[in-house]
Amino acid sequence: MQDDPGFSIVELLIAMAVTLCVMASTLSLVSDVQRGFASEGERADMQQRLRVATDAVSGDLLMAGAGAFQGTRAGPLDFFFASVLPGRQGASGADVAGTFKADTVTVLYVPPAGAAQTTIRQSLSPQSGSVSLNIDAGCPPNDSVCGFAAGMDVIVYDDTASYDTFRVTSAQAGSLQLQHTMLDGTQSYAPGAKIVEAASHTYYLKAAAATDTYQLMHYDGVSSDVAVVDHVVGLTFEYFGEPYPPVLLKPVTEPTGPWTTYGPKPPARDVRSTAYPAGENCAFQLDAAGLQHVPRLGFLGDGTMTLVKLIETQLTDGPWCPDGTSPHRYDADLLRIRKIGVTLRVEAALTALRGPAGVLFSHAGTSRAASRWLPDQEVRFEVAPRNLNFGR
Amino acid sequence: MDRGFSLIEVLVAMMVTTVATVALAQLSVISMRANYVARATTFTTVLAAQKMEQLRALAWASDPSGAEMSDTSTDTTVVPERSSGGTGLSPSPADALVTNTPGYCDFLDANGRTLGGGSTPPANTAYIRRWAIEPLQVPGNDALAFQVRVTPIATRVTGPHGRTPSEARLFGIKARKGT
Repeated sequence: MQDDPGFSIVELLIAMAVTLCVMASTLSLVSDVQRGFASEGERADMQQRLRVATDAVSGDLLMAGAGAFQGTRAGPLDFFFASVLPGRQGASGADVAGTFKADTVTVLYVPPAGAAQTTIRQSLSPQSGSVSLNIDAGCPPNDSVCGFAAGMDVIVYDDTASYDTFRVTSAQAGSLQLQHTMLDGTQSYAPGAKIVEAASHTYYLKAAAATDTYQLMHYDGVSSDVAVVDHVVGLTFEYFGEPYPPVLLKPVTEPTGPWTTYGPKPPARDVRSTAYPAGENCAFQLDAAGLQHVPRLGFLGDGTMTLVKLIETQLTDGPWCPDGTSPHRYDADLLRIRKIGVTLRVEAALTALRGPAGVLFSHAGTSRAASRWLPDQEVRFEVAPRNLNFGR
Repeated sequence: MDRGFSLIEVLVAMMVTTVATVALAQLSVISMRANYVARATTFTTVLAAQKMEQLRALAWASDPSGAEMSDTSTDTTVVPERSSGGTGLSPSPADALVTNTPGYCDFLDANGRTLGGGSTPPANTAYIRRWAIEPLQVPGNDALAFQVRVTPIATRVTGPHGRTPSEARLFGIKARKGT
């Protein structure tokens, strides 16, 4: 056996020192990478949630107010009724008339491509039942129900600032079976009222602390009430409105509109269509002499054209459309809305990435190490619905 | 006869391992950076769209008598907008997209909240948003071309055509409406 002297003490010390240095730097690297590994995926996820939420909300807000495009009473919905409501509307869980909720919005619009639209042949009361249709010019050829089909959502409206939403349950031979999808109403629609395919979209925040559920929800006004994005902890809508009152552009007896700069046209002087006196509606009244239509709404702001932020009291104090007695009443100032501000806030899904509640976190997590925190992410954006930008 | 590794051999082996590990660690750095750029791009796009919506909602119409109603004074650098002290839809100077021109630029924090306009960004500025408004040379001269450019302040890297990686540029046209 050969004599093996092994390492000298100097060699051993150098080797240990080198090993320690390498180990130390590797470990510090590993801990950084591990932290990144734990949080980067969630960070990307948060961004994705914010993006999806922004896209979903802005896409529908942008369309608000788009109306029928042929036949009588064509044009943006806000020439007839308010298409943006600060509350929930629909068949289930609807807010009572005149509600203002900062975290809820409902928009109505006629879908852009080939929406079915015509007028009704018989009077229609606001409850489930059947209605027969006129086959107006513009209906698809050889179609006895003018393009309507089962499962479609429709709005019926007239010139009184009233509207009612329905879902078509069946369609055949010039008539539709309708299921009423609003709170019970009182308005009865005369033959000739418009019926048009339309979508209702309600976005709201679901905040259930007990189950730690925070979601951006979407309700279609009838049956589908689903979460769009999880871990949304903040949702606020702000409304910016036209400071000028509406103006009557032509005699209300003219057959085609628009009759006003915005809002529903008043009835002729001697006609009473709502609880307002004859010749008046929620947007217009008669002057002292009872001869001329003048706006019921006033000026807001400082006399310039700049949009004014509409606050809760302005949107819940009347004047009411179609009138104060209607179970579907809405504030006439909602007709002023030209721009909607949206603030969205999302949080990290993992409690291990959230710190104590405060400025950074809406809901506390379990992490005490600030280096691992993934603060809530917030974004604010505005949408000017294209069909509500009258004169802008 | 096996005498094991010499110290030199061990050192070389460790060097190789270290280099490999550091190179791998670079990967995670790259992925974090990509994540950051993705977030900045999302934000700049939303912020650019937001300014576009503000400009679209300014009055640019003819009133019932046919007189032009043009908003040239609204200050869109604050929320809610102020009715005076701003530039509204007035045409911008030629270099409005590249320099901070008061009235055609505002500063935003990391959450996209506006910090106001001016020419010098406040300390907590994360994004600079500039916009240009140009009358289109069409009959009647009544359409406007908008350009909005949002640049994250942290990225100093400049790519081809002077564009930073996560900046957003949007272009839009607004026509005068009758009432």
